[in-house]
Amino acid sequence: MTQMEDVNTLKDRIKAMMVENLMLQVTADEITDDMPLFGPGGLGLDSVDALQLVVGLDKNFGVKIPDPAAAKEILQTVNTIADAVQKKTVA
Amino acid sequence: MRVILITGANGGLGQAIARNFLSESPDNFVWLGVFVRRENADKLAAEFSNRCRCLELDVTQPDSWKAAVEKILAEHKRIDVLVNNAGKHHDGLLATMPLNTWDSVIKINLDATFYGCQAVMTTMVSQRSGRIINISSLSAILPPPGQTNYAAAKAGVVALTQSLAKEVARLNITVNALCPGFIETDTISGMNPEERKQAQSRIPMRRFGKPEEVAAAVRFLACAEAGYITGSTLKVDGGIL
Repeated sequence: MTQMEDVNTLKDRIKAMMVENLMLQVTADEITDDMPLFGPGGLGLDSVDALQLVVGLDKNFGVKIPDPAAAKEILQTVNTIADAVQKKTVA
Repeated sequence: MRVILITGANGGLGQAIARNFLSESPDNFVWLGVFVRRENADKLAAEFSNRCRCLELDVTQPDSWKAAVEKILAEHKRIDVLVNNAGKHHDGLLATMPLNTWDSVIKINLDATFYGCQAVMTTMVSQRSGRIINISSLSAILPPPGQTNYAAAKAGVVALTQSLAKEVARLNITVNALCPGFIETDTISGMNPEERKQAQSRIPMRRFGKPEEVAAAVRFLACAEAGYITGSTLKVDGGIL
């Protein structure tokens, strides 16, 4: 498997986790990599979804988000979450 | 197995709540949070040694909560029910109340409830299930003179409960408050006969409540059938309010 395939597989896993954990009314395919997760014009998640994402990322990917500032940085899009997972994996 | 943590488990109310859960089902495992005194809790843990254990927990210290939750998770990997029962009152008129009396009562009754809820929240979110029962007091709704500190703290517990319930409702976590009135605990047993008579005359049922009656209400709020009740304040007071 190439590195690009790895990244795409990872993003698919992240999307699947989001749909399942957050009980979203969209399918994983409908979530694009750069779609904003919060706010208008995006997926429309709220602070309770963010809490679930923080717990889900720790549980499923071992990514620990230590504070609100880090959460704001990581939980922007599927791309930023995938970056955080990869950095954690590399580290 | 259902894993239950009860704070203030050495006192009369904590003991009754623990016994009620232990009687309810052999599948209930009860952790007794204790700090200053633990003789009653130790006896209960010895009586139900295979599914009841004491845990040192200073509810006023977030680090102590962290250690307690880690210990439970190491053993059971889950926490299903938290009963924030630890509390104390130290009454006095506001005009002359020492600041440390105000601070200590707010800390053990209100701050500790916040710390407890926060300590178990990640686990309950991860489980997508959980029950939190915060023991407030009738003083929160009907504050008597001389309890500015205790009444304010317990009213804070009710408000905390209502707000948190809304935050986590969709995660299948319920958060409810319980307001006992005059219950036959150490506080009541310290009254002289005249004080008892006077207090009972204010209760429509003309008797004090039993710790077991409060415990039954706690058990109800934690049971499966109470799954749609959240953000509620249940009073157990013999009809005072």
